[in-house]
Amino acid sequence: MKLGAAELKREREERRRGFFLALPSFAYMLLFFALPLVIVLIYSFATRTSTGSTALSDWNVDAYRKLGEPIVRNVVVRSVVLALVTTVICLVVAYPFAWFCAHQRPTVRNVLLIAVMIPFWTNFLVRNYAWRILLSKGGPISTFTEGIGLGEVDILFTKTAVVIGLVYAYLPFMILPLYASIDRLDQRLIEAGRDLYGSGPQTFQCIILPLTMPGMIAGSILVFVPSMGAYVTPELLGGGKETMLGSYIVTQFLTARNWPVGASLSFVLMTVMLVSTVIYFRSGGRNL
Amino acid sequence: MNEITESQDQRSAAVSLRGISKLFDDVTAVDSVDLDIGDSEFFALLGPSGCGKTTTLRMIAGLEVPSGGSLQIFGEEVGSLPPNKRPVNTVFQNYALFPHMSVADNVAFGLKMRKIPKSEISTRVHEAISLVRMTGMEDRRPNQLSGGQQQRVALARALVNRPKVLLLDEPLAALDLKLRQEMQFELKQLQREVGITFVFVTHDQEEALALSDRIGVMNAGRLLQVGTPEEMYDAPIDRFVADFIGRSNFLKGTLESAEVVCLANGQRIRVPQVDAVSVGDEVQVSLRPERVIIGDLDSAPHDSAQLSGTVETETFLGNSVVYRVALDWMTIEVEADHRPDVERYHAGDRVDLWWRDNAVAVVRP
Repeated sequence: MKLGAAELKREREERRRGFFLALPSFAYMLLFFALPLVIVLIYSFATRTSTGSTALSDWNVDAYRKLGEPIVRNVVVRSVVLALVTTVICLVVAYPFAWFCAHQRPTVRNVLLIAVMIPFWTNFLVRNYAWRILLSKGGPISTFTEGIGLGEVDILFTKTAVVIGLVYAYLPFMILPLYASIDRLDQRLIEAGRDLYGSGPQTFQCIILPLTMPGMIAGSILVFVPSMGAYVTPELLGGGKETMLGSYIVTQFLTARNWPVGASLSFVLMTVMLVSTVIYFRSGGRNL
Repeated sequence: MNEITESQDQRSAAVSLRGISKLFDDVTAVDSVDLDIGDSEFFALLGPSGCGKTTTLRMIAGLEVPSGGSLQIFGEEVGSLPPNKRPVNTVFQNYALFPHMSVADNVAFGLKMRKIPKSEISTRVHEAISLVRMTGMEDRRPNQLSGGQQQRVALARALVNRPKVLLLDEPLAALDLKLRQEMQFELKQLQREVGITFVFVTHDQEEALALSDRIGVMNAGRLLQVGTPEEMYDAPIDRFVADFIGRSNFLKGTLESAEVVCLANGQRIRVPQVDAVSVGDEVQVSLRPERVIIGDLDSAPHDSAQLSGTVETETFLGNSVVYRVALDWMTIEVEADHRPDVERYHAGDRVDLWWRDNAVAVVRP
């Protein structure tokens, strides 16, 4: 059907109004996200001079070649492993909690969800230092385990400490999407599963798990991505021994003064994350 | 002799409830219900929303645990068994089809859970899908189906398991009127075909009358009366039942003897004998509007009950006319056929009314 002149005019007006309303966000994203990213991309192809400064000439891909070296590979593997472990622990801890929340009276559930957010009211750095005290030799945890005869705990500056810190930092990002998708789950589907001879575990596996998968994937992305790039937590709780990608990038920029390598690594990391997120939303988004 | 027949009846009952109650936080949802549902019977639990009918159904399914009483399915006590251990399946209100599975996977679900061999699953799923005339739709997702189709898949998903009892929770409520009438017919036919006990819950009295072999009417957690649709319509024993199934006038009175009621205006009328009330009780006489004959006392039998009054309003309904007739002690509704040979009355007309003794039922007030 052909649109009349008046309809066309109205449609054009509405589109223009939408554009003007979105303009501030467009401008913000362009100025503070797209533009810096382009600068990072440009620097990744630049040359590091012998004095440690960066020359925006003699464009080459040396920086990308350097990413294949064992030292970088070790950092990547360690980051992926720690981020994966963090994600799995978050998933296992968050699922029962989110389930419990979703099955409470509205007032109780609001209190619980606010409790999940409370840590955000304190500065991230402060919370990491707090963990440093908690985990240190002679700290409260160590004193407690010694008191009950388990011996002292010395896990500060280990991978365990880093994972504890990461789980603590990103758990809410797992809980919230899980809660949303469990809350949306139709109780009658669970009843139907039980009615159709499903035992508790069978019903969980065949109905509850697939139907809450969108929440699990969203939460996993929200935990995995920032864990991969984490800087503060591995520095403070890993003591610089457990270098992860974030720390390595910072080192390249500030200590090694090798901006092209830092830039190339940042760019690759970002691209991998972006692509996998897009793949998720295009495939799993339909199940939502 | 009597005892033997009774115990045989008990054995052949598909579902047997004895003193079944359910409390939710001190609110009594179901109050000591006794009920036997026969094998291969199409049974309706009828009542307004919140009367406890759905809770009763859910207790049979195992989705609620009774607070008290005993619940047997074909003689086996199941009150404490979880739903997956009971030989019953449910067609849920709004169907509760699994949105992440195809039609075929939905139907196969129960068999897969019971670890039936794959080859048998595929034959039985195929049979069940063709039973509900959904062949060719196996790969569709539930959200690609119309309401009527979803309803059929829900039926196939339950029936494929060959349950001993099929429970249906407001199975037709989500469909529009025309489809609902079609599905009523199909449901009735399906039940005859598969020959298993159907227990369904509805708030729609017409649906209950049209579909079921027997009806149980519930109100406020109590089962008031159980009987065939005709019994429920012709001989209700409770005012609520008479009012809920069809329409009725209620004339106050006292039961003077087994077959005589003295109405509130002092007039005595003959009534069919009933067990639910005893002589001397305050009762109400249920009088269906279409069983009252208006005018023409000459053709009235000499032993019929007679009243006279004035027409207050007339409502034309196409095939009939409903008159509100004011007596000097109450107002009653009378429904007369609309035919050329039936005299038509108008507001203000003085009319005579009469009915036969067996047109009324004595009910608990």
